[in-house]
Amino acid sequence: MAAPLRTRATNVLVIGSGGAGMRAAIAATQAGADVIMLGKRERHDAHTVLAAGGINAALGTRDAEDSWQQHFADTLRDAYHLADPEMVEILATEAPAAVLELAEWGCAFARTPDGRLDQRFFGAHSYRRTCYAGDYTGRAIVRTLGSVVTDLGITFVPGQYVSRLLVGDDTCFGAFAFDLVTGERTAFLADAVVLATGGHTRIWRRSSSRRDENYGEGMALALLAGCRLSDMELVQFHPTGMVAPEDVAGILVTEAVRGEGGILRNANGERYMERYDPVRLELSTRDRVALANYTEILQGRGGPHGGVFLDVSHLDRSAILEKLPRMYRQFIEHQMLDISKEPMEVAPTAHYSMGGVVVEPGTAATDVDGLYAAGEVTSGLHGANRLGGNSLAETLVFGRRAGEHAAARAASTDISLRPRAVIAAAADELEVLVRPGHELARPMQRAVRDLLWETCGVVRDEQGLRRALDGLRDLSDSLGDVDVSPTEEGWGDLGHLLDLRSALLTGEATVVGALARRESRGAHNRADFPALDLGGLVHHRVRLDPATRGLVASTDPVPSIRDELAAWIEHGSVDVGSDRLLE
Amino acid sequence: MATPADVLQDSDARRAGGAAGAVTLTLRIRRFNPEISQDSWWDEFTVEADPLDRLVEVLHQVKWYHDGTLSFRRSCAHGICGSDAMLINGRNALACKVLVDDVGPRVTIEPIRGLAVLKDLIVDMDPFLEGYRTVLPFLINDSGEPDKERLQSAEERARFDDTTKCILCAACTTSCPIFWGDEGYIGPAAIVNAHRFIFDSRDEGSRERLKILSEKTGVFRCRTTFNCTDACPRGIQVTKAIQEVKRSILFDRF
Repeated sequence: MAAPLRTRATNVLVIGSGGAGMRAAIAATQAGADVIMLGKRERHDAHTVLAAGGINAALGTRDAEDSWQQHFADTLRDAYHLADPEMVEILATEAPAAVLELAEWGCAFARTPDGRLDQRFFGAHSYRRTCYAGDYTGRAIVRTLGSVVTDLGITFVPGQYVSRLLVGDDTCFGAFAFDLVTGERTAFLADAVVLATGGHTRIWRRSSSRRDENYGEGMALALLAGCRLSDMELVQFHPTGMVAPEDVAGILVTEAVRGEGGILRNANGERYMERYDPVRLELSTRDRVALANYTEILQGRGGPHGGVFLDVSHLDRSAILEKLPRMYRQFIEHQMLDISKEPMEVAPTAHYSMGGVVVEPGTAATDVDGLYAAGEVTSGLHGANRLGGNSLAETLVFGRRAGEHAAARAASTDISLRPRAVIAAAADELEVLVRPGHELARPMQRAVRDLLWETCGVVRDEQGLRRALDGLRDLSDSLGDVDVSPTEEGWGDLGHLLDLRSALLTGEATVVGALARRESRGAHNRADFPALDLGGLVHHRVRLDPATRGLVASTDPVPSIRDELAAWIEHGSVDVGSDRLLE
Repeated sequence: MATPADVLQDSDARRAGGAAGAVTLTLRIRRFNPEISQDSWWDEFTVEADPLDRLVEVLHQVKWYHDGTLSFRRSCAHGICGSDAMLINGRNALACKVLVDDVGPRVTIEPIRGLAVLKDLIVDMDPFLEGYRTVLPFLINDSGEPDKERLQSAEERARFDDTTKCILCAACTTSCPIFWGDEGYIGPAAIVNAHRFIFDSRDEGSRERLKILSEKTGVFRCRTTFNCTDACPRGIQVTKAIQEVKRSILFDRF
């Protein structure tokens, strides 16, 4: 790496250009800060574009009796009470304004006949509160935020891989990155940094994440910078991912398919959700439906590709084309299957990281001064089970807060120290990694993904988790012998190696949490501890010991709910009958 | 009871078995590397592929197992990101949306036309994106926020639905003969993105956009060859959108 080192300075550096990153960049810019936003890929090409079904806000358009308190209660109850009540309250109270603002910015949401924002049902919500744009809501949101980013003239640097957060004197003062095509290295210096880099679900073999993303890059960066991670074992397995062809297996079949009336059946034709959740059926919480699908498949009632069947063929064909256009195309293109005539074969797929970086609910501040985080990279909002449609709302609500607080910090900073030794160490780290070796990053990534799928998937037990820990540590031992040859591949090789480093680190954090959580709660199913631990309402944290470089685990109690809102949890829960779910 | 590992093994076995139905595909790819030569050249690769594999997977096979220097953009592989538009057997398409079965047994792949080639199949997208930015591709409404929410009827929403589908892949613009010949022409994609706001009932910037599009680099360069409509991987009626913008300028109707 002989190329010169570039330096760029700004007030607020945003790492990540998806929903949360763009919203943070917009908020910081509007607050007066100079902003640089980094993306691993090109403009408008963050993972948020794949979000399909919708975004929640208690607008009460369709069901006037809906309220933010009910949104709060639904979210917390189906998070198995493991969510941070303050974060949930912020989400529920601020989502309506955030969604209306997005509509004001031009987002092409679907409309009711009288011209208001339409809202559809999503699993386990008491009322219709999910706004949507067909089944490409994420793309509509990304394009809208992107148009505001363009309008405000925010600097966006694409193709940047961040290898290290720059931390000196316990304060984050920027990030070190290289260009994935040219290899050019840049030290981005800033008064405040916002981490908005997504989750770590690509470290499972079946994953709804696309290639080269969601290896837990941001979580690993935060861990290395001195932050705590929380509840990494709480990973949402979406009940319905595609099972064939193999090169796309795992990609999502949106919950909107069930929201619009899709029915799940096993190979015997049985509507088995009647056994698992006779009231809510297919629109039960994601953890229950995923566990049901998983159980049916492993007990031998699956289809030819190891999946169960999701059927919408009883619905009107024109309704399918209007409400589920992307799913219709997806199955035509990948399987030559017409979903209006034949059922889809689907199976659980790792979908969303509910754990992540510990943040202060109101300010999005992490444990490290100057470092903020928003979106999937954080923990606290979703507890042990995330409700569909809450994550897009999260990106807007907490992205804005992160951007505002980062900008406020920048505006109030008198002096910032930027130790050259820290920048030099980050540069040296990359120098060391670029060298010939006997191992290849890609097969090792695959080994991690297979290992975690087999031992730390929908259902876990002590024996498997111990095997995972050993396996991950063996792979970590080979990390120093990975071949990185930049001239042939651009600089993708180096990216793959750092992805692998993140996968091993966040994988270990996940397994450590999964071992420590000796109960079954939401998405975390322990075969050897099948019940809720009624005394076990705790967060499992990990941090990196600076001396040993090993993970250190600890627990914190979950904060209690304000009395006024606690009443909503106990009394406000509406028992949703199946007849109300399908219009 | 089976284990998750069994399910994966079955899947791997099927994948291996699937190779039995494999076909042989010969790829002829136009290569360019300014560090080697100022002229482009052709390389041929022969691979085994499943007829239902998408072309982007075959290109990966070439890159990972035959020639690591082959450069092309790809990202989501779902037809959403718009990064892998290429000239495939003479037609612009996304490599992640074309099946081996659609092109075999021989396929010719070239970079999209009208933009400077940087390396192999990668072109400089900056002039294309500059054209996109020219049309003010964001909602303009200075009338102040409404008290509650701004209404828009389903019909008004449907008016610009087609042009919201654009993914900025440049397949349309780089299939347009006017764009190839005339460096100033803003191109179909920029007009599609202008259309998306011009016909949005909430937008108030249409006059400004129509003024930009009525200039000599704008819509009247279009000669309705329909290449753009044929090329669009999202099925947008591009030429129709351009005609609607032309009509708005001529008759001040929007």
